[in-house]
Amino acid sequence: MSQRESVLQRRVTLGAMLDTESFTEVVRGFVELYRVGIKVFDDKGAKLADIKIGNGDFCGYVFSFPEGRRRCTATVGRVKDGPLALSHGARLPVLEPDLVPQARGMLTVPCFTGLRYLIVPIAWEGDQIGRVVFGPFMPEDLKDFAPKTLTEIAEGFDVGNAKTLVGKVRRAPEGTIARVMLHFGQLLQTMLFGGQKMYLTSQLHIEATLDNNRELEERNKRLEDANTRLKELDRLKSAFLATVSHELRTPLTSIIGYSEMLAEGLAGPLNGEQVDYVRTIMEKGETLLKLISSILDISQIEAGKVRLNFEPMDAVELINGSLSSLRPQVQKKGVALEAKLPAKMAMVSGDRDRLRQVIVNLLTNAVKFTPKGGRVAVTLTDVQQQPDLNAPGYRILVEDSGVGIPADQFDKIFNSFYQVDSSSTREYGGAGLGLAIVKSFVEGHGGVVRVASEMGHGSRFTLVLPVTPSTQQHILITPPVTSVSPADDRF
Amino acid sequence: MQLNHAQRELTVKIVYYGPGLSGKTTNLQMVHQRTSPEVRGRLLTVETHDDRTLFFDLLPVFFSTANGFKVKVKLFTVPGQVIHNATRRIVLQGADAVAFIADSRRAAAAENNAYWKNLVENMKENNLDPAQVPVVIQYNKRDLPDTKTDAEIEETRKKGKEPVVGAIAIRGIGVLETLYAVLQSAFRSLEARAGLTKNIGLGEREFLTQVFANIDVTGTELERILPPRTPGARP
Ligand SMILES: Nc1nc2c(ncn2[C@@H]2O[C@H](COP(=O)(O)OP(=O)(O)OP(=O)(O)O)[C@@H](O)[C@H]2O)c(=O)[nH]1
Ligand SMILES: Nc1ncnc2c1ncn2[C@@H]1O[C@H](COP(=O)(O)OP(=O)(O)O)[C@@H](O)[C@H]1O
Ligand SMILES: [Mg+2]
Ligand SMILES: [Mg+2]
Repeated sequence: MSQRESVLQRRVTLGAMLDTESFTEVVRGFVELYRVGIKVFDDKGAKLADIKIGNGDFCGYVFSFPEGRRRCTATVGRVKDGPLALSHGARLPVLEPDLVPQARGMLTVPCFTGLRYLIVPIAWEGDQIGRVVFGPFMPEDLKDFAPKTLTEIAEGFDVGNAKTLVGKVRRAPEGTIARVMLHFGQLLQTMLFGGQKMYLTSQLHIEATLDNNRELEERNKRLEDANTRLKELDRLKSAFLATVSHELRTPLTSIIGYSEMLAEGLAGPLNGEQVDYVRTIMEKGETLLKLISSILDISQIEAGKVRLNFEPMDAVELINGSLSSLRPQVQKKGVALEAKLPAKMAMVSGDRDRLRQVIVNLLTNAVKFTPKGGRVAVTLTDVQQQPDLNAPGYRILVEDSGVGIPADQFDKIFNSFYQVDSSSTREYGGAGLGLAIVKSFVEGHGGVVRVASEMGHGSRFTLVLPVTPSTQQHILITPPVTSVSPADDRF
Repeated sequence: MQLNHAQRELTVKIVYYGPGLSGKTTNLQMVHQRTSPEVRGRLLTVETHDDRTLFFDLLPVFFSTANGFKVKVKLFTVPGQVIHNATRRIVLQGADAVAFIADSRRAAAAENNAYWKNLVENMKENNLDPAQVPVVIQYNKRDLPDTKTDAEIEETRKKGKEPVVGAIAIRGIGVLETLYAVLQSAFRSLEARAGLTKNIGLGEREFLTQVFANIDVTGTELERILPPRTPGARP
């Protein structure tokens, strides 16, 4: 799915747009050419460049006095972090009229020493993203150095020394410094534009490369998954063919074999033994019939040809009917069969024959996978609101104390032809279709089927069915749609 | 949209999308030419030597509302070449509206359709709901032979709900009309989602008037829609 937020969605900072090293070189060149110090800050006050010239000795001397240090710190603070507005001691610079329009936003901040600073905001796409500070310089218009604000900082302040030291500071009219500053501003805009372009494109290049990789990986993953699924399907299909041919051939062979024996008069008139033979023929015939009908059912479902017939029905009667058809098997196997039914239950709607098939399939499995002496129970609950369905419904639970199902197979056992043990030597018969049919029919009713199990202790299948199946009278069960049709052409 | 109440700032993102060489960059160049420099940044373009967009073009336009809210409209183009799909997807992130620049020649229909589907896919990849992000379609290059007739365009217009604008971007025809339509759609969608009038006191009329206040609309359809302006003056 979606990537992380792109650089295009973020605010670009001054620092990201400027390459610090080359920017510092440019600033140094400017400083040396015009002999005025330049500082550049971003809008958070972080320093991007700071090149000083000429004022070091003078400022150092002033700074050596505690009061000088205090006043100096205040001035520097004003220049760096103070508002870009005509307040806190800032005023408009004195400029020749032709410069005024271009110098919009420029401020003069006087220093208590008589020196001065000029500040100009860095504008970018309508925002102020930082500031440039020029200075300190000695204003041309300052007649008598040193002013009282400087001399008063200490008793022992040496005016003569200060005068000598301040001589190294560039002396110029405000207007001259302002011109240099405008020139610098234009250069800065060009550098920012180039820097922004470099920054955005290099970032975007990285983002696009990462995104391409991500897409490739996803595609590989999908292919691998599809491949695994195909292999699995293939394996299932072969297992199915083996099973079906085995399951079909064995009863047929029996029928033929025993019939032959009868026909050849090997048994003579029907005695006890013969009765057994005939029973065997009947049993095998039934097995074959069931299997063939399951295969028929599933192929009908997969071809999307099954219609459910919803009509009012009595769920208690449904369970009882299913149980009675299971009794012979249960007795033969020697497991206990128990039913917990509500005393009285509301009428529900459903396809009686299909639901009966569902319950018989579940009970058949329960009996089949439970060893002699085990226990099988079926429970029906009364109608109540079902959170799984978000509608009123009822539940049917089929539990056994049998071999159990590994948790990682809970989904797979509902696939057609899937069996936990599909080896040819498996001890239980069947074609792996029972649960696939269960699932299709239950979902055709708008219900759900769930399984819980503990290996060696038993399994529980839970059906949650709505009182009224969610759709209209007749429902067509169709296999899941996997491909999506492309949107219609717009042009 | 990015709405920053603390900084009183609204950013609206418009993306020009469409097949390669349909005229996306040309649209942005024309808007740039017609917009006065105080309210826009430079046109940032990253192109190959043969003028194909490599990453994107970006033209920012900004103004302040009467309420003192800063509004930035960022116009982006995507690269149209097939191989740049990842970049297209990234540039499309967070788009508030899309101007789909189609080549109106009949022979280009298949290409237009392919990119239309690509737009929908990439919107989904970006968690944008194609039903929610408004799109305006521009039929560009109407000066070329084989262009669809008005009647044919009208026919395809009816297939969807998107506003449709005819254009010859290279001569600036239909470019501002497209921009107007896409900004209007964007505003309406943001208004419905974020209640701009109620929350920041910015209505559709002020939004559109302010954006176009510093764009020269002489000779376009917009002259009839927008209030007359005094050249160079801010509203
Ligand atoms: N005849 C004509 N040519 C145009 C028109 N609009 C743009 N073009 C030309 O079409 C070519 C491509 O225009 P671009 O704006 O670069 O196209 P694009 O959509 O940005 O292309 P990519 O960046 O590769 O996606 C250029 O040569 C333009 O001059 C138009 O209305 N008519
Ligand atoms: N009650 C159960 N106890 C243990 N395993 C079960 C139970 N019900 C189903 N299974 C497992 O699920 C598989 C698929 O069941 P089903 O579709 O009914 O096919 P069949 O019973 O014909 O093998 C079974 O082969 C078995 O491995
Ligand atoms: Mg079974
Ligand atoms: Mg382009």
